[in-house]
Amino acid sequence: MTMQVEKLMHAVFFIAALVSIIAVALICIFLFANGIPAMREIGFLDFLLGQRWAPMNSPPSFGIFPMIVGSIYVTAGAIIIGVPVGVLTAIFLAKYCPAKLYRVVKPAIQLLAGIPSVVYGFFGLMVIVPFIRTYLGGSGYSILSASILLGIMILPTIIGVSESAIRAVPREYYEGAVALGATHERAVFATVVPAATSGILASIILGVGRAIGETMAVVMVAGNQARVPSSILQGVRTMTTNVVLEMGYAYGLHRGSLIATGVILFVFILMINLLFSVLKRRTNYGS
Amino acid sequence: MKKSLIVLLVGVLVACVARVGMAFDAGRDINVISREAGSGTRGAFIELMGIEAKTDEGTIDRTTVEAIIANGTDVVLASVANNPYAIGYISMGSLDERVKALKVDGVTPTQENIADGAYKVARPFNIAYKELSIVAQDFVDFIMSAQGQKIVSGSYIPVVEAESFTTNRPSGRIVVAGSTSVSPLMEKLQEAYAKLNPNATIEIQSSGSTAGMLGAIEGTCDIGMASRELSDAEKEQLTYLVMAQDGIAVIVNNDNPVDNVTSDQLRDIYVGDVTRWSL
Repeated sequence: MTMQVEKLMHAVFFIAALVSIIAVALICIFLFANGIPAMREIGFLDFLLGQRWAPMNSPPSFGIFPMIVGSIYVTAGAIIIGVPVGVLTAIFLAKYCPAKLYRVVKPAIQLLAGIPSVVYGFFGLMVIVPFIRTYLGGSGYSILSASILLGIMILPTIIGVSESAIRAVPREYYEGAVALGATHERAVFATVVPAATSGILASIILGVGRAIGETMAVVMVAGNQARVPSSILQGVRTMTTNVVLEMGYAYGLHRGSLIATGVILFVFILMINLLFSVLKRRTNYGS
Repeated sequence: MKKSLIVLLVGVLVACVARVGMAFDAGRDINVISREAGSGTRGAFIELMGIEAKTDEGTIDRTTVEAIIANGTDVVLASVANNPYAIGYISMGSLDERVKALKVDGVTPTQENIADGAYKVARPFNIAYKELSIVAQDFVDFIMSAQGQKIVSGSYIPVVEAESFTTNRPSGRIVVAGSTSVSPLMEKLQEAYAKLNPNATIEIQSSGSTAGMLGAIEGTCDIGMASRELSDAEKEQLTYLVMAQDGIAVIVNNDNPVDNVTSDQLRDIYVGDVTRWSL
């Protein structure tokens, strides 16, 4: 009897584990089965490196190079803004923050993680975009707006993972440094933080993943122009927003090209995850 | 120390708010707002304004690549309402007081001006089908009847002087799919029809004009909706009816002093030849 229950539960757990694998496999199959034929029809290089996106023209052009560049610019901007703030916040929370303040700051950061992205987008539309339009010029719908917004959005990820990485560094590192005469600052920044590098890097890569995949917030503040921008005050279209903007109306090759955009995005995410595991392995060997 | 910092911060904030309320600067760039490729409103607008160019190989949408792309009427409205330098276009039925509708060639976009053809930026709302079931036929009769056209006249321009509608209440289920611009009107029509004939179920799907026509051809929906003229290929395969006329309103921010725009200026703005508000 117990054996049977054991076996049954074994099967239940196995099926539960399979669900996520099946989901990933189905998504892969769907993406590639629909995206690859479209890419072939457009021409792989014309698709990847084409500068012109005009799906409704006849003959149409489907070049997603501006969107690839857009995704990279916006993500890079988010990292430049989000990483310093996030990592320093994590160091503060782990090593400097008084317990009383911690009880306020920590839940606030967790709340930041729970805000739906469309609300972030609305905030960006009402606050960041007019601010940039008034003080820096342009329309306000820009790489800068999207970067600032995404920089804020990736904070919880970076802070959360970095903080636990810093807390995971053995106490002896800090105590040893202090015993050798280092000040608190020196001990934290010269021994504890370097020891947590792999965790901090992990947090940054997770942040990159979140930023590159974000859609709803970006579509509201980025302007969505399908051309390679020449200034951070110009608008930009990312791969995610390209899909969400036009999917509702698309059919035929246009639809296929949007799914193919998804394929390229998927490849990007795959590369980021690969980089993540490579980095993690290397730092682990180092220590 | 802390106090002075707070005072400084508040000062900066107040200054920010004050500057947002600054006067309109005509030397600044026009922030052109367009809809996404495939939108029926965009299709109708570029065709009416001559932004679409015909070449030997086909047609080209010449809308400037610098145009901000907003994916929906609400987004265009919100963007223009918040941006003193923006210009956009939306279905006249969706117009509200947050924005200002420009006169085009001196003509105000009103229902009368569209009905008599004075306001040029107008387009038909079409319904198209292959074969109608009894319920679908009854619903189409209702749309084209005096009661149906009265609902149309709420925000749009009715197209026929029709007789009053009576139903023998057939039962069944039909799907109406297509243009996101037509579906708000279709929902009102459906509500009114449901009161007259509770036996029928009508499902409305907003998927875009082209998708609606495709659905009607392929038989995935009973009636397709389009907020533009049908293409020749679509006309060949479907029976279609104009159920209403809708104006496309060209909108700017309430702080914008411009009231009137000529169709040539409008075309130049959207093609990207004119970029400053000092028209």
